[in-house]
Amino acid sequence: MTGPRAPGRVSVGAAILALSLLAGAAALTVVAFRGPARTSSLQDRVHGVASTLRCPVCQNLSVADSPSRLAQQMRGTIAAELKAGRTPEQIRAEFVGAYGEWILLSPPKHGIDLVAWAGPALMVLGGLVVAGVALRRWTAGKGEEAGEALSQTDRGLLEQALSKIPDETEEVR
Amino acid sequence: MSDERDAASGSHPSVLDPTAGRHRRRRRGLTLAGVAVGISLLTVLLGFGLSRDPTVIRSALVGRPAPEFALQTMDGSQAVRLADLRGQVVVVNFWASWCLPCRVEHPALLALWQRYRDSGVVFVGIPLWDRSSAVRAYVEELGGDWPELADPASGTAIAYGVYGAPETFVIGPDGSVAYRRVGAIGYEELTGQIERLLEGSK
Repeated sequence: MTGPRAPGRVSVGAAILALSLLAGAAALTVVAFRGPARTSSLQDRVHGVASTLRCPVCQNLSVADSPSRLAQQMRGTIAAELKAGRTPEQIRAEFVGAYGEWILLSPPKHGIDLVAWAGPALMVLGGLVVAGVALRRWTAGKGEEAGEALSQTDRGLLEQALSKIPDETEEVR
Repeated sequence: MSDERDAASGSHPSVLDPTAGRHRRRRRGLTLAGVAVGISLLTVLLGFGLSRDPTVIRSALVGRPAPEFALQTMDGSQAVRLADLRGQVVVVNFWASWCLPCRVEHPALLALWQRYRDSGVVFVGIPLWDRSSAVRAYVEELGGDWPELADPASGTAIAYGVYGAPETFVIGPDGSVAYRRVGAIGYEELTGQIERLLEGSK
């Protein structure tokens, strides 16, 4: 009944959805790349280093976010070292020297820890492939059914059989 | 598997193309196998994560030079510099008067100190997040007369990668960290470490 109009409506809806998704993604990308406003007060620089370090006495809290005594003193240590002219990288390296790479909140980009970096991207790719295959199969199935509904004549059967051939070869490949 | 095959052929009346059903079945089998492999991989990964204790931190310091410190005793009567202790075995015990496992390990520490104090082993305690009055009361109650060092702003504890009390470091005569124990130490355990280092320095 709605057969001939349905594809048009779906694609308009899909276009609106895709556009809004794109707009959202673009906005997020801009925010992600610009990051928080740059300031260089000591407190902000301490926060910058502390937020990349794991609080040793907490579960899943950074040194910047933890109210614990140890984290407080670590922020003090970071402040003292920044004042002494050390770079955030040097300070981080010192903490790694004492606590191991465990102290870093983001895993290092080498060895087995690369899985944590590459994993999500691979999963998104895999999801896209699965979605693409599912979509293809779904649209192909629709055509088949429509063909069957019309296949009262031999011509319909023939069309259906022919339309299947490229499909099958692609699936086998 | 045979159920699926039946279901597959039942739901697809492919009278026109007998190979279509076969292809579909094979594809379905492959998909199922893929999902099964994926789920098992994920299970193994999550199981591995669960089997690890997130509170256990491997020390980054063992085998590396011990961070230097020069600290006053809590009563201010004496200064201890790690650099001055080169050539001796140094046992550094981070502890606190409010910490229960510290109380548990204290007898072992006391026995070790009594056994090794005259054979080239230096013991120092560094109380964490404590008051000097509480430290004094604790030492008077439980005994032991090794220097208790004040660590302002826990700078030394942080340099040693300490995250709680008690933690014990054994530093060899060469000034490198030979052993680290998180939690209460055992007498036998530390005896073994100290003997090994004393043997090596002869």
